Amino acid sequence: MERPHNILLIDDEEDFLQTTSRRLQRRNFEVRTAPRCADAMPEVIAGWPHVVVLDVMLPDTDGMECLRRIKQEKPQLPVVMLTGHASMQASLQGLERGASDYCLKPIELDELVEKLIIAYNDAGARAG
Amino acid sequence: MLGFLSRFFRPRQCLDPKDPEALRSAFREHYRHFRVLLTANNNALELMSVADERLHADKPFGMGVVRGTLTALAANVYKMVHALVALSDGRYKDLHERFRIITGQIEVILSHQPEVKGTAMILAMDEIGRHDADQVGAKMANLGEIRNRIGLNVPDGFAITAVAAKHFMEASHTQDEINRRLKMLDIDDLESLYLVSGDIQDLIRHAPLPDDLASAIATHSQRLTREGSLRVSVRSSALGEDGALGSFAGQYRTHLGVGTTAIPSAYKDIIASKYQGQAIVYRQQMGYRHQDVLMGAGCMVMVDAAVGGVAYSRPPDDPQSPWVVIHAAPGLGHQIVDGSAPYDLLHVSRDSEQDIVTLGLAQPDRSCLATGQIRELARQAMQIEAHFGSPQDIEWAIDTEGRLFILQARPIVQAVTQPNPERDQARMSITRPPLLEGGITASRGIAAGRVHKVGCLLDILNFPEPAGENAVPDTILVVETPFPDWAVLMDRVCAVVSESGQAATHLATVAREFGVPALFDLSDAFTRLENGQTITVDATARRVYEGRVEELLQFTEEKRPSLMEGSPVHTLLKEALTLITPLHLTAPDSPFFKPSSCRTLHDITRFCHEKALTEMFNFGHRHGARDRSAKQLSVIGMPAQWWVINLDDGYREDADLSSPFIRIEDIVSAPMLCIWRGMTAVPWQGPPPVSMRGLGSIIAQSAMNPQLDPAVRSSMAGRNYFLLSKNYCNLSVRLGYHFALAEASFSELLTESYVNFQFKGGAADERRRQRRVNILGDLLRGIGFRVDIKGDSLTARIEKRPVSYLEERLVILGYLLIHTRQVDMVMDEDAVVARYLDKLQADIQKLRTPSMEKEMTHGTPP
Repeated sequence: MERPHNILLIDDEEDFLQTTSRRLQRRNFEVRTAPRCADAMPEVIAGWPHVVVLDVMLPDTDGMECLRRIKQEKPQLPVVMLTGHASMQASLQGLERGASDYCLKPIELDELVEKLIIAYNDAGARAG
Repeated sequence: MLGFLSRFFRPRQCLDPKDPEALRSAFREHYRHFRVLLTANNNALELMSVADERLHADKPFGMGVVRGTLTALAANVYKMVHALVALSDGRYKDLHERFRIITGQIEVILSHQPEVKGTAMILAMDEIGRHDADQVGAKMANLGEIRNRIGLNVPDGFAITAVAAKHFMEASHTQDEINRRLKMLDIDDLESLYLVSGDIQDLIRHAPLPDDLASAIATHSQRLTREGSLRVSVRSSALGEDGALGSFAGQYRTHLGVGTTAIPSAYKDIIASKYQGQAIVYRQQMGYRHQDVLMGAGCMVMVDAAVGGVAYSRPPDDPQSPWVVIHAAPGLGHQIVDGSAPYDLLHVSRDSEQDIVTLGLAQPDRSCLATGQIRELARQAMQIEAHFGSPQDIEWAIDTEGRLFILQARPIVQAVTQPNPERDQARMSITRPPLLEGGITASRGIAAGRVHKVGCLLDILNFPEPAGENAVPDTILVVETPFPDWAVLMDRVCAVVSESGQAATHLATVAREFGVPALFDLSDAFTRLENGQTITVDATARRVYEGRVEELLQFTEEKRPSLMEGSPVHTLLKEALTLITPLHLTAPDSPFFKPSSCRTLHDITRFCHEKALTEMFNFGHRHGARDRSAKQLSVIGMPAQWWVINLDDGYREDADLSSPFIRIEDIVSAPMLCIWRGMTAVPWQGPPPVSMRGLGSIIAQSAMNPQLDPAVRSSMAGRNYFLLSKNYCNLSVRLGYHFALAEASFSELLTESYVNFQFKGGAADERRRQRRVNILGDLLRGIGFRVDIKGDSLTARIEKRPVSYLEERLVILGYLLIHTRQVDMVMDEDAVVARYLDKLQADIQKLRTPSMEKEMTHGTPP
């Protein structure tokens, strides 16, 4: 199992960004954060992240649109969707548009880490 | 046109067997899809168990949990479908449609909105009867019934319907804003609960009433006005409230003495009270979503009360009692239910004698009620009980002219405990003196815990967190006055002690509903009990002891009542699960094993798993790849033939792949080797001697059913296969007349580490086969499997455990596969069964020794 290193978190909840990025850093990930899709795209285009964690409810553009943009730039980049409330439609729509996985907040760190690793390795499979 | 068609008719890749590189990478890609499918399968099955367990457990759960679990489930099944379609080069595309249909239906169920009936925004009291509860709420409907059908005095007034409330909330767009805020709320965080609750209530209070509603209210108030002035009470009358499922006692506000111009704002405040902290928590505990509670309200002319109070047509804990219970206090008596006023307590016998027993007086030597009034009140209480068919909790008032009015009536939520002579005996045998004695049993029961005193709102915020998933709370709430505000803590406490108040309070009602023992009116309790002190409360016997009194606590086995049963959230989950968990597809060989037969998500997972295995199995075959097709395991001394298919990297690098045989030494599949070790650990001793009866049943069975086991894939019929890779193994076994399937995956990730086991069949009759799976089930549970038995079929799973834990279990599974077969032929001889069980247990014990764990060498053939 290969371990991704660079994680990009896109979420408008400041608390979540801070706490999660700290915790992931303690697990030896390098983490960058962005509160809006627009702030995240430069990182994506530059090719920095190995995995993106995306909240589906973003203020500037909705999560689905952000997902679409990311996939357009980097079709192979795995994106894990995150949401504070579950909508079956939203999650299935996200998966259909290429998200690797779907998680519900709050999420345990162990579970998130495993999802990141799995998403990273599955993406490798799809590419290969 | 051609381009369009080619999307649907992608030709099967014909790989050149002479191009090993292309073959290998194609295989690798297939294998990766296979692993994705397996992981998603594992997650989906686990989530199904979780959802099913929730339905049957006693712990309350909210809509958020339901949606979260089911959405994650759907996401995993989605991934399985896509993995299968990829793995099978585009076959089974019909699954997409089936999946869409089923998840669409689930979504419809989950977003079910209760229907708001009727069109009228306001109904006058004269027009209302019991059957209008779905428009005006039970409270007003019952009052209308009492006034118009029974003919008792109920103040004149009108009801504002749920339709009106909906209109109000929608016209002002308030509901959307509220939903947004509620979605983010964690109700266990009391501080944010109160903040959000406060915000929402403000929103409602400041929202404008639509003009049509405002003028309807004005019109009806005009009709009530006598001699120019009008004072009304404005009360909640929520739909769903005061029903058999929950009293919602004290959850919403009441406004008294409201003048005409103030009615609209009082009404808005009543609507706002739906979002009080304790109401939000109560709904969560009782399994109601916010949209399930529709707010109606009632306006009634104020009674100029001389005396008022509460009457129970029977005591709350004794539905057979011959007494009517009356609480009375000067004025409206509203303070009685809020627990803040002293009162007269009277019992009146239900027979024609109507004996009166005075149990307490608010003012010594001065009864609030005259004898005639007491008897009239008792008569009316019994009349109302008779009309509605169950004991009633009644609010009443007598005005300055001596007229008795009924202000509210609702069914009493009974919380009855069984008589228990042992418990009574235990009570009498306690030698230590109680710390406190006396008071009133507000809710029966016994509990022990640590004292936590609450005197103000701040104390609520500092209250200990709710206990974890399966833990019982060990905090005891101690208060001076049993205000309904404390109800927000009911799910965090094991008992309640209050210095004042009695059984007719809202807090007592909620305590009874939640099955929490409560002792009220216990003098000096607040001053004498200390925070953190451990005490035992025997609410029934009205005593509080220092420390834990184990002799009493052994009698608290009575479970807390299942509050969720029958509630809207519970019902939604149950309905949604009918589209998820039932399994219709069972026989892979059947012509009905196809996408269009999938009716549930479980059917889809079963289909995908099965077909994925078939695809992987056939891959080597189909492409003529020698190294990917089945090889026979060369081994001597085992009672069967074993075939092996390498899915990826299950063979040693330097293994001779041209041979039709493979040696165990050449296999590097960790899970497979564990199973093999178990299989070869104890020498096979042949089947046990069969009794004549047993043999007879086998012969009869075989004659009836030539294809003894429809669960076996026909392509693999008659053979035992290991499909393996370095970290994965899938073994299907047909030994004798049994079919078993063992699947295991090892990974550094817990998500991908699991063991599954399925077992079915046997040649003996139904009864014996069932007995065998029961025994097998017990053995497996004993080593940590989660077991599910249906008839003569068994499934067992272990998920998300470290590899070392799984290794040990796989060894034992391997052993069981070989050694339990055909035992059921002798199932009806208990002695023989017992002997075999002992042997099995002993062997399993041997297999568990640490020294065996250490050595990971291959099992040597006997």
